Amino acid sequence: MATSPNPFIQADGKKPTCMEMLQTILDGEATDEQRVYFKQHMDHCMPCYKEYNVDIAIKELLKAKCCGGNCPDGLADQIKAKINSTSA
Amino acid sequence: MEIEYEPRQHYSESEKQNIFNNEFMPHIHSMYNFGYRLTLDRDDAKDLVQDTYLKAYRFIESFQKGTNAKAWLFRILKNSFINDYRKKSKEPSKVDYQEVETYYNSEEVDRQITPDLRVESLKDMIGDEISNALNALDVDFRTVIILCDLEGFKYEEMAKILDIPIGTVRSRLHRARNLLKEKLKSYAKSMGYNNA
Repeated sequence: MATSPNPFIQADGKKPTCMEMLQTILDGEATDEQRVYFKQHMDHCMPCYKEYNVDIAIKELLKAKCCGGNCPDGLADQIKAKINSTSA
Repeated sequence: MEIEYEPRQHYSESEKQNIFNNEFMPHIHSMYNFGYRLTLDRDDAKDLVQDTYLKAYRFIESFQKGTNAKAWLFRILKNSFINDYRKKSKEPSKVDYQEVETYYNSEEVDRQITPDLRVESLKDMIGDEISNALNALDVDFRTVIILCDLEGFKYEEMAKILDIPIGTVRSRLHRARNLLKEKLKSYAKSMGYNNA
């Protein structure tokens, strides 16, 4: 069991659910302290462990498959030419 | 909401060129991908990116040199998309996201729809499954996934780009992730993973 105080607890004292903690991690909003706490939490929370691994796999898949490569050749030059012709 | 285009800075022509080339242009590939994911059409994406850059140059004096150019450009692109492209979009009108957000807002629904998706089934998705699943999401849900997972924007930046409160960014991302998982689960099933 993690013994340190839960760094996800907000100023109003509300205890976060597993899902709320997981979302903060996935959304890239967690502090270092929260990340460490969540890692320890996953050691004794199987649903979080499973969900986290699936969510991270989806994130990696998105990055690998949906970044779409480069913009069409010539687009940057086309834009620059338009700007030069309007600002000239 | 329209972007505030009030000129707050004064730049010489060479400073303008410098900002444009060194702060704006490096984001062209991310901008094109964002445009493509919004319009789902490569020609429209090209036009959208071009319009965005021309607008950015025209209103360059409302941009403060050295600040977050990427977020500023993304905001212009998103507004151009809403104002100019969404109206003539070929996409049929979909369910109002507000309605969807309210529907998915209960913990009970979350429990029901959170699919038991497995890492192994995701690893076998080497084709276009993830891209198709993302593209099939309503544009508002698609957008938050792109901004967060593909581009790494923070809540605060997303709130500014989308003109919505941070709490809405967070809840929309949560719904978007669940909807994406639902779609991936059905792909996994069709690939033969019975207990996806």
